[in-house]
Amino acid sequence: MAELRRLGKRGAYRLGQLGSPPATPRKPPSPHYPSWVPSHRGPVSLWLLGCLITVAVLAATAGIGWWFMPFVAGLAGGIASHLGRWRLRTALLATVVVAALGWAVPLGWQAWHTGAVRATARVVAALAGLPAHSPVGIAVTLLVAVLQALAGLWLGRALFPRLPRPA
Amino acid sequence: MTLPRRGARLAWRVIRVLIPLLVSAVLLGVLAFGYGPVPPLGPALDPGRGVWTSASDAAPPRSGTLALPGLDHPVQVSFSSHGVPSVRAASEHDVFLALGYLHARFRLAEMDLERRLGEGRLAQLAGPSALGSDRFELRLGLLRTAQQEWAQMPKSSPAALALIAYSRGVNDYLAQTRRDRQWPALFSLAGVYPANWTPVDSLVIQGDLTQDLDFTSTPLDYALLDRTLGTARTMAWFPILPPNQQHPYDPGPYRRAGLAPIAGQAAQTATRTHAAAAQRIPQTEATAAAALLQQVDALPAGQLHTSGPDSNAWAANGPLVAGHRAMLAGDPHLPQTLPSVWYQVALAAPGYAVSGVSVPGLPGVLLGHNQHIAWSLTDTQNQATLFYTEQTSKSHPGQYFWDGAWRRMRVVRYTIPVRGGSAVKLTVDITVHGPVMTRAGQTTAVDWMGAIPSPDLAVLLRVNQASDWAQFRAALADWHAPTQNFVYADDRGNIGAISAGYYPIVRHGDPWLPMPGTGADDVAGVIPYSAVPQVYDPPGHLVATANQRPVGASYPYYIGTTADFFDPGYRAGQIYASLQHQRGMSAASFAAVQGSVTDPLALRIVPKLLAALHSPNHGAKLTVPEQQAMHVLNAWTGSMSAGSAAAAVWWTFWTDYLDAVFQPWWNRAAVPVHKDRTGLEVSPVYQFSLDEVLEHWTLSDPHNATFTAPGGHRRTAPEVMRAAFGTAVAHLARTLGGAPASWSWGRLHSREFPSLTQAAALGYGPRGSGGDSWTVDAAYGYPVSRSGPSWRMIVQWTGRGRYAAEGIYPGGQSENPAAPWYEDQVADWWNLRYLPMPSAAGTTPGVIRWKLVPNG
Repeated sequence: MAELRRLGKRGAYRLGQLGSPPATPRKPPSPHYPSWVPSHRGPVSLWLLGCLITVAVLAATAGIGWWFMPFVAGLAGGIASHLGRWRLRTALLATVVVAALGWAVPLGWQAWHTGAVRATARVVAALAGLPAHSPVGIAVTLLVAVLQALAGLWLGRALFPRLPRPA
Repeated sequence: MTLPRRGARLAWRVIRVLIPLLVSAVLLGVLAFGYGPVPPLGPALDPGRGVWTSASDAAPPRSGTLALPGLDHPVQVSFSSHGVPSVRAASEHDVFLALGYLHARFRLAEMDLERRLGEGRLAQLAGPSALGSDRFELRLGLLRTAQQEWAQMPKSSPAALALIAYSRGVNDYLAQTRRDRQWPALFSLAGVYPANWTPVDSLVIQGDLTQDLDFTSTPLDYALLDRTLGTARTMAWFPILPPNQQHPYDPGPYRRAGLAPIAGQAAQTATRTHAAAAQRIPQTEATAAAALLQQVDALPAGQLHTSGPDSNAWAANGPLVAGHRAMLAGDPHLPQTLPSVWYQVALAAPGYAVSGVSVPGLPGVLLGHNQHIAWSLTDTQNQATLFYTEQTSKSHPGQYFWDGAWRRMRVVRYTIPVRGGSAVKLTVDITVHGPVMTRAGQTTAVDWMGAIPSPDLAVLLRVNQASDWAQFRAALADWHAPTQNFVYADDRGNIGAISAGYYPIVRHGDPWLPMPGTGADDVAGVIPYSAVPQVYDPPGHLVATANQRPVGASYPYYIGTTADFFDPGYRAGQIYASLQHQRGMSAASFAAVQGSVTDPLALRIVPKLLAALHSPNHGAKLTVPEQQAMHVLNAWTGSMSAGSAAAAVWWTFWTDYLDAVFQPWWNRAAVPVHKDRTGLEVSPVYQFSLDEVLEHWTLSDPHNATFTAPGGHRRTAPEVMRAAFGTAVAHLARTLGGAPASWSWGRLHSREFPSLTQAAALGYGPRGSGGDSWTVDAAYGYPVSRSGPSWRMIVQWTGRGRYAAEGIYPGGQSENPAAPWYEDQVADWWNLRYLPMPSAAGTTPGVIRWKLVPNG
């Protein structure tokens, strides 16, 4: 309403030019992508296959003592989110699931092979001074993988910020 | 304006990278290397290589063939359904190598913990909290003694060869575990792994046992008692000879046979006097005693000999036993832990066939039987630890005055590695008496028989192979420490017992107190082997040792005081009373006595208590709850069963009775109980001298002046009993509520078998339980007992070379808590059931069979 009252009055249209320095050009607003338009590159099936391969790599490298591989996988996930323009929430979810599965698979194999993983999980929890329940031992183990992967993802995304999608 | 903004943007970009970089580095660093008490969780929790690999170890072994480097010939191993192996080998070398492998396979963490304990290396695994224990052990010198024993042992002797073969077997398993990376969870979680096994490690474990059974701090307690209560009261309440009626297994007659030299030392000719100390202990000595007791307090539970863990062993023959043969029962009372101190096994090789329990870390069988003899052990409880106050001077640094001259102390330096911290240096000074344990107040050194090299393993192997009393007794002549009552029964119907070991005799002075270190009070020698307590085929056809003083009052040598730590004789008395009039007993008769929870002290005292309660002259009228509690006691037979209300009343009464009589004196004298609860507290749990004297006064001297509290009106035993009964009933009403008939001993008292790892969830219990300190089925500790029968065994000889043997222990063969053999024998132990022991010939067929073959 205040601008409308100035219409037709003296100096009304020069006021801005004489007053403050010229306004900095604003960035054009990001184009709006409707939710049904995919924000990432490549087919989802290919990404899922990548996740499965990562799970397999994590499971295999755990067997040779490369306990730090969830971090590497997370780092790769961070870079992938740069290349694939994945949203943060999607990248987070995928990282957590892949890391947890990557270490759950060898645990499952041990459970099938020895039948003593639940009992061992209880022992692990007890020795660590935690409540001596098998889910606690398993959760702590998977948490170590997930924390590493999240740290890797964070670093990866910091090194390679997500690029805007082309107009 | 533009440049700063661009700079800020750049800085923000850098920070956005630096923060996750830093967080990642810290996270990976902590996961890789740990931080303080936090172990390196990355490798520890790696599902392919970390703690999870112990899941493979949890499964029972499968039948198959294993290649073991070092074996000369194939070895057959068959496991019972409870994992008890029978080993058959072609030579002693192979049988001990196989035993080393089996011990390591099922008890590696236990072995490593015990070796670390004795060698002062616990802090490397457990962190700074274990430094106190490491310092104490390095000062005391289990490692030095073990090194000396190994250096003195001829390397071609049977004991040395057994140690070498055994170590090879342990190292075979370590090599296999290193290759497969399947470590017990404790190691994976801590990130600290065991080094190769050596013969010295085995000898250190022998030292651990010796310390547990033989090292005592009682003279330090006597010093504090003497300083506070005065000499007269101390010696009246903690006397040398027991005032109560006891049943020594060697009733005499005795003969004085002079003194024998300690191995490697010349005998002194002087004899000691029995005169009580006339003067009080000086403050400096009390300060030193308190400081040393504080060091002792840093040890893990069960590593010091206290009055708790005792044992029973008895043998009968002739008309007492079915078929007029001999029969033996043994139940050593030790800290009950998971895994157990025992590993059951049968070992057979040409010339060697034995079945029983072994100690992980040591070759051989400690308690058991072969094809001709059976034996079991109880602790003799004689005084084997002497403390000396060394004379030092600032003008003679690093020296002490002994035998008329200043002598230089030997100095040994150690570096103690600490997990999560810096290594710690320790310097140990050693005098002619032994290591200096403290310099607080004054310089105090300890002369301990366990520090003298003892060829225990050589003796044990000879005992394993003995076939009659003569060989058995001859083998034990070289046993020095810990002094043990070896009880014996053979297939010819003979029985016997001998208390082998060193009994130090000082030239002069009171050995139950710290003594001057200038030479006059040194050890002059030991009791000759021919004069130590012993008996063979006694006329009563029964010999029983339950840690009671093994000899009567006329025995011509000093062997220790009531507080050091002879049992009051209640268990021994109960065993003799139960068995000596029996005829034609079977194994079931012995089993019933092993499981007896009758409290003999209660049987003697409760009638006096009831008399005091019934008499109108000894106090106010009983309240209704007191009358109900009295009725509960009226019909009681002395059974400390878990469901007994009377047992709850009795124990609480006796505790309050002790307290009512002695605590006023303790309070007035300000006895520093906090310095050593186990030695100084007025309690039926920790020391037994007060129980003995109070029993004696109650039965025979009810007007003793001690019943009258200092400054109080004159009291007699019945008056104090009546007051204590009122206190006990009030205690129980508060604790258990309801009517006295609803109370039960099992609600007050429980047993627990804690895990060696200290993780509460990996132990067993606490579970309401019967028994107390004086029942044959003993339970030491209140309200939770953690010591008691650690193995029950009965061997009945049925003919030459023929026997029926059974045993049980509260635990299992595997130390892995996830394994089915972790605590699978607990239920049978709890319910007084036994399992057949495998044949000494190693021929018992098993459900799982291994063939161990030489590598390549």
